[in-house]
Amino acid sequence: MIDINEVSYTYHVTDAEGNDVYRNVLKDFSLKINKGELVVLTGGSGCGKTTIIRLINGLIPNYFDGELKGEVTVAGMIVNKQPVYETAAKVGTVFQNPKNQFFNVDTTSELAFAAENRGTEPEEIIKRIDKVCDRMDLLDLMDRSMFNLSGGEKQRIACASIAVTDPDVVVLDEPTSNLDDKGINDLREILKRWKRQGKTIVIAEHRLYFLKELADKVYVLDDGKVAKELSGKEFDSLSLEETALLKIRAVDDSFKKKFGDEELSALLKTKGAIDVKDLDFKYSDGVHGIKISDMALPKNSLIAIVGNNGRGKSTFARCLCGLNKKAKGKVDFEGKEISINKMTDRCFMVMQDVNHQLFTESVKDEIMLSIDSKDEETCEKKAKEAMEVLDISSLSELHPMSLSGGQKQRVAIACAIASDKDIIILDEPTSGLDYYHMIEVAEVLKKLVKLGKTVVVITHDTELIDECAQCVVKLKKYLI
Amino acid sequence: MDVSIQTFKTSGERALLDPRTSIFAIVVIGVVMVGGSLTGIEYVLRVISCMIPAALLYAVKKYKVATIYFLIMLFIMIIEGTAVQSTVGALNLLFVILSGVVSRFIPQFMMGYCFMCYTKVSEFVVSMERMHVPSVITIPLSVMFRFFPTIAEENRCVIEAMKMRRTGTKKPSLLQKMEYELVPVMMQTVRISDELSQAAMTKGMGLNRKRSHICKVGFRAIDYLMLILLGTILVLFIIY
Repeated sequence: MIDINEVSYTYHVTDAEGNDVYRNVLKDFSLKINKGELVVLTGGSGCGKTTIIRLINGLIPNYFDGELKGEVTVAGMIVNKQPVYETAAKVGTVFQNPKNQFFNVDTTSELAFAAENRGTEPEEIIKRIDKVCDRMDLLDLMDRSMFNLSGGEKQRIACASIAVTDPDVVVLDEPTSNLDDKGINDLREILKRWKRQGKTIVIAEHRLYFLKELADKVYVLDDGKVAKELSGKEFDSLSLEETALLKIRAVDDSFKKKFGDEELSALLKTKGAIDVKDLDFKYSDGVHGIKISDMALPKNSLIAIVGNNGRGKSTFARCLCGLNKKAKGKVDFEGKEISINKMTDRCFMVMQDVNHQLFTESVKDEIMLSIDSKDEETCEKKAKEAMEVLDISSLSELHPMSLSGGQKQRVAIACAIASDKDIIILDEPTSGLDYYHMIEVAEVLKKLVKLGKTVVVITHDTELIDECAQCVVKLKKYLI
Repeated sequence: MDVSIQTFKTSGERALLDPRTSIFAIVVIGVVMVGGSLTGIEYVLRVISCMIPAALLYAVKKYKVATIYFLIMLFIMIIEGTAVQSTVGALNLLFVILSGVVSRFIPQFMMGYCFMCYTKVSEFVVSMERMHVPSVITIPLSVMFRFFPTIAEENRCVIEAMKMRRTGTKKPSLLQKMEYELVPVMMQTVRISDELSQAAMTKGMGLNRKRSHICKVGFRAIDYLMLILLGTILVLFIIY
């Protein structure tokens, strides 16, 4: 069905200084995928898996600038020699970021969009939407604005919009990196259905556990080459040690360590508590919101906050930072009672999309911005210290926007350290990260605790929790 | 026995006005508000024109925005009708400038906002096609259409992030703050538009291809009423 034959690809990109850079990703790469197979491509960042997805859906060479050698055949078409819209009839694509893949603002139009582009009769389109809507249980998502959907719901619409045109091949580029547990489960069900229908599916992904018992073949890539080829059976039985050795995320998603209430109360006893009391917040729709009567978080520890409802977790984080001005409540902190709206002085949040919080022209300026002192020398000293802790001293003169995702996150954490705030909250710091970078984040978090900070991690990444958390707070019972 | 059951029905919800009517409204309101004088029939036409967006905002249930807009325009119109006429010299200049800044530019902007509120991207694309606008122009315009709410959302996130960085001692000036907030919003915008065009391409969007559409676009009674109203305003405005 898909035949990638001795393909080499080099990206032409421009670096921070405006120079042309040639970045070779694939060299004489070959891969054959049979009809009806579900194939997983995994490996560290920059291993070439996204490039392979782009080769299959035709964005290379039609959209990206670079040099391509070799031939890519999908369903009998030579993809690299035809415009993308020809390929689109046979290949559907689901992208990484759910919010940036909708051309329309309302869901129904988006479902119709691909079919409309092909000039299908309107009655036929409506019939097909009806069918897909039935099968994928989308009735409650129809005719909604995409700005009011959760990440998981958006990704369901993205999958459904592909199902409407019913292509033989579906490629997915890190589809789970912005999803919570429920979103991932929904995606797994969709993949199952597609597999039953005999579609050929290619997924580039870091997170692997949800593909257990689904994958027919798994390729672990490294530097544009297949480092290891696994059959579905071999993949299913990979243990935690084996996946760590292969430097890929776990297939087995059970906790190694036990996180019970005893650990939590022991920590509360030895370290003291930050008490959140009578927290009450409602969204303007009057239906969604959170209510917490009493919640004790151990001081100077690494606390993981889990829970199935994505909205509840992030809302809690924003309330604790004092960003939801309408939230009511108070926090008992070091014997003082602080109104929750004043917590901005005590808390620093590293956001999931770290691009939102980098403002200045160099890493050093960025860190200096958050230091609460007018004295130039103190600022310089503190900034230097923070950069040393996070190993980013060498980047101090670079523009934050020219850094990689992981480096940007480190800069944001360095700002948190330099700001001298006691509580550092991280919202899904490992979403979309490979094994190596996940371990790196875990190490940084441990360092923060050593510096005396209280670290609250909003996450559903069991590996990260295993690697560094000292206690786990489940948010489920607090939600209204 | 075959039983067919239809569970999904298109809601049939359509834009309040046909996109073509809305665009015409923006043009007419713009011409009248920018070019109209403050006396005689032109003043009356200006009052009517600037109230059209308020009525439309009420119709799409944006009560808060509608009320604020209505009150501001009412105030400005009263000033233009009374204070501007009866004062002289520096005071007159002050009134003219103050009311002019609002009345000559805000109404057409609000009409554009109305248009964005109730029109779907797909409806916009279809009506542009009906007017035989080439897709080279339609596609970028429709992306822009999609973009305003996105920028608003990004902007909210960035302002929040800025709040967290505020320290007690250092207060960036307004200009500095604007610069700080503008950079991430712009970077995000570039990234989003890049990803958006990739997604649109893999869904078969291409130049000069015949598209079909499931949304219904066409003139209804309310459009004809609106067109007659706007036409009358424009004709009277040109004659006098």
